[in-house]
Amino acid sequence: MTVETAQSRALDLVPFGAAQFPSLRQLRPVLLPVATAGTVLLLWQAVCLVFRIPHVILPAPTEIAGELWRILPTLLKEAIPTTLDSVASFCLASGLGVGLAIVLTYSPLLRDTLYPNLVAFQLVPKVALAPLFVVWLGITSESRIAFSTFASFFPVVISAAVGFEGADASTLRLCRSLTATDWQSFRLVRFPFALPAIFSGMKIAMTMSVIGVIIGEFISAKAGLGFYILYASSRMETAAIFAALFVLCMIGAALYGAVALAERHVRRHYGRR
Amino acid sequence: MPDSFVQNRVPAAATTQCVEVIEVSKIYHGGTQNAVEAVSSVNFSVPHGQFVAILGPSGCGKSTLLMMVGGLEAVTTGRIEVDGSPMAGPRTSIGIMFQDSTLLPWKSALDNVLFPIKVLKRPVQEYHDNAHALLDRVGLYGFAQKKPHELSGGMRQRVSICRALVYEPNVLLMDEPFSALDAITRDEMNGLLLDLWQQYTKTALFVTHSIREAVMLADRVLVMTQRPATIVEDLTIPFARPREMSIGESREFNEICGHLRERIEHSHFEGRR
Amino acid sequence: MAHVGRAVGLPVAFAIFCVIAWEALCRFGHVSSELLPAPSAVWNVLAGNPGILMEQAVPTTIEVAVSFAVACAVGVLLAIGITFSAAIREAIYPNIVMFQVIPKIALAPLFIVWLGVGGKSIVTVGVFIAFFPMVVSTATGLVGAKPDVLQLCRSLTASEWQCFVLVRFPYAMPHIFAGMKVGVTMAMIGVIVGEFITAQAGLGYIIMFASSAGETATVLAAIVVLCGIGLVLYGLVALGELAVRRWYGGELPTSGVI
Ligand SMILES: Nc1ncnc2c1ncn2[C@@H]1O[C@H](COP(=O)(O)OP(=O)(O)OP(=O)(O)O)[C@@H](O)[C@H]1O
Ligand SMILES: [Mg+2]
Repeated sequence: MTVETAQSRALDLVPFGAAQFPSLRQLRPVLLPVATAGTVLLLWQAVCLVFRIPHVILPAPTEIAGELWRILPTLLKEAIPTTLDSVASFCLASGLGVGLAIVLTYSPLLRDTLYPNLVAFQLVPKVALAPLFVVWLGITSESRIAFSTFASFFPVVISAAVGFEGADASTLRLCRSLTATDWQSFRLVRFPFALPAIFSGMKIAMTMSVIGVIIGEFISAKAGLGFYILYASSRMETAAIFAALFVLCMIGAALYGAVALAERHVRRHYGRR
Repeated sequence: MPDSFVQNRVPAAATTQCVEVIEVSKIYHGGTQNAVEAVSSVNFSVPHGQFVAILGPSGCGKSTLLMMVGGLEAVTTGRIEVDGSPMAGPRTSIGIMFQDSTLLPWKSALDNVLFPIKVLKRPVQEYHDNAHALLDRVGLYGFAQKKPHELSGGMRQRVSICRALVYEPNVLLMDEPFSALDAITRDEMNGLLLDLWQQYTKTALFVTHSIREAVMLADRVLVMTQRPATIVEDLTIPFARPREMSIGESREFNEICGHLRERIEHSHFEGRR
Repeated sequence: MAHVGRAVGLPVAFAIFCVIAWEALCRFGHVSSELLPAPSAVWNVLAGNPGILMEQAVPTTIEVAVSFAVACAVGVLLAIGITFSAAIREAIYPNIVMFQVIPKIALAPLFIVWLGVGGKSIVTVGVFIAFFPMVVSTATGLVGAKPDVLQLCRSLTASEWQCFVLVRFPYAMPHIFAGMKVGVTMAMIGVIVGEFITAQAGLGYIIMFASSAGETATVLAAIVVLCGIGLVLYGLVALGELAVRRWYGGELPTSGVI
């Protein structure tokens, strides 16, 4: 490359070392939504101040932040069981779900028998069963984990089964022609092909297991963020509710983000976007 | 605006140029790190009623050029005039055919043909006969009420030819309209296009990868280089009209094809420098 | 035909087998009826006392239907609003997707603080939960129209409005129905959780009340009725989808939302 073209290239770029930093235009997809959220918060604050909204109805963001700071130790303590239960039920649901999906893939008899029933279960309001788990397992962490696993298990089985089934038929045929064993064709073809579907099921499961744990804590608990939220609402401590919701949202987003990151990592390993 | 097919044949108009492309360049993402120069100082003009084919390697900027002529992409530098006035945006006197048939899946073949009429808010009833006649003309008699998924790929492409002709544009831009079809259907479509052309002569720009297709259909062939695209060859095809598909077997035809192939290979080489 | 017989027969047979095994377990396995009542006991509650269950089913059904309808209307309108302009879409859509991820059900107590105990806050919880999948899938459908077709529209000098009415909205129809299927389940969840924690009336209330009183057979009977309501509502949406699918013709795009 000649010096001239190198210079003209450099002139094309935005000055001040923009090569290292993303330009404003590239940041637009991040900045715009963040700015919108910020504007909403400002409006909220303004409305609370101008119209003197009672604290019980709607505390201003600054008040919520203050409350959050004040009760943060309590909230973090309550967050521990909620997080642990959510993670436990997510892991159980993912493991059991993918396991069952593998069984369904390799046993046509079981598939024909179970799959339609699984899909039917997907449609019924499983939340209604939450109190039954309390009857069965008592007011314990196990009962919440069991309920939450039950609620988040179905999306994983169904999407994983669909994913295994949808593996590219001609690649599978290629495996057969190479006399690959079932295990080889599973490991080398079916599993990588099913990864996007498995992860989309797991992402749903992650949200569902947090929801399941919260519902469990609503109806039967002496600890946890769900319990705390209900407790605060019975005492009309709206700012405390918002603070607890904030912590819960952070946990929910972090757990979801962890699954999404794992997905990126695994998919990159398998050379797919 | 001369809307009917017949007016295009008026000899007075034949002396002026229909499409003029003057020193046109196109740079995508100009001024950023990933700037792409797709088209570089292209010049050519097309008289009224001429059929021009554009040949070039994949990714060289043919579609970009065509979209600029159609007013769907802005030029970075230079000027494009159609019917004597500079292009500033899409016009109804220009019809475009895309690589895929882009039919609306929920509309019948007839309604798909009438789609432009509806968009242009012309009286749909008046064009009914015309649309039916076009469908019959391309051999889709009796398929007017079928939906796209009930038609084969070739049939869908025929519907989209009818759709491009029904509102009687002066200029027809075609971007590899038959490249998704198999060889036999493609020959058939070429024959059909040749027939239609003989009936409704209008100015056309036709992008293709197939040398034979270009020579068979066009009055003139332009050859483009690797990106950034420039024109390296402007060849007039001497065959008289009406043409028969059988000219494809003649020696002259094959000599022209050979010459063009040589030019393209040469330009490939030049493009890499 | 044998194929169809297998596809329907096997799962149904399995379901029946499960019920029989359950009954047998309860009869011969000395399981306390408080822990797991036999299917026959559940049936006795359903058949012996239909009045009470049906009475409580009325508010639940109405609440679910209303919150679903409101969520659909608001969701579709907001989706149209945010997709109409690219700037608004870029500004709002990521925030809505963010909301998809967080456990919205946790906001239920807040609505009770705001709106008091009763139908109003229960419906609001239902709307709030059902609304997000509606917006996301409708918006996905509205921006997901094939770029080629949109270019065709542009080349015909179609206005934004024409593009929307003739292309974008029809393209979004299947996505809207996919969103509605999720939405109807979500409205159900919202209403049940609302009834759990406000405990005034409705099947959710019956379930909570009976489970704390150890009347597990009543809990199961109420769950059966709830499933019935859920399936009917879901079936209505599925029927609507079938009609649209027929109109649309051919392959349907699918959308994966929570
Ligand atoms: N919207 C866009 N943004 C950025 N770059 C683009 C865009 N459209 C096309 N390009 C780039 O411009 C170049 C030319 O693209 P174009 O589609 O015109 O090629 P083409 O000659 O039609 O290729 P093909 O024969 O494969 O259709 C390509 O390198 C492409 O990557
Ligand atoms: Mg192209």
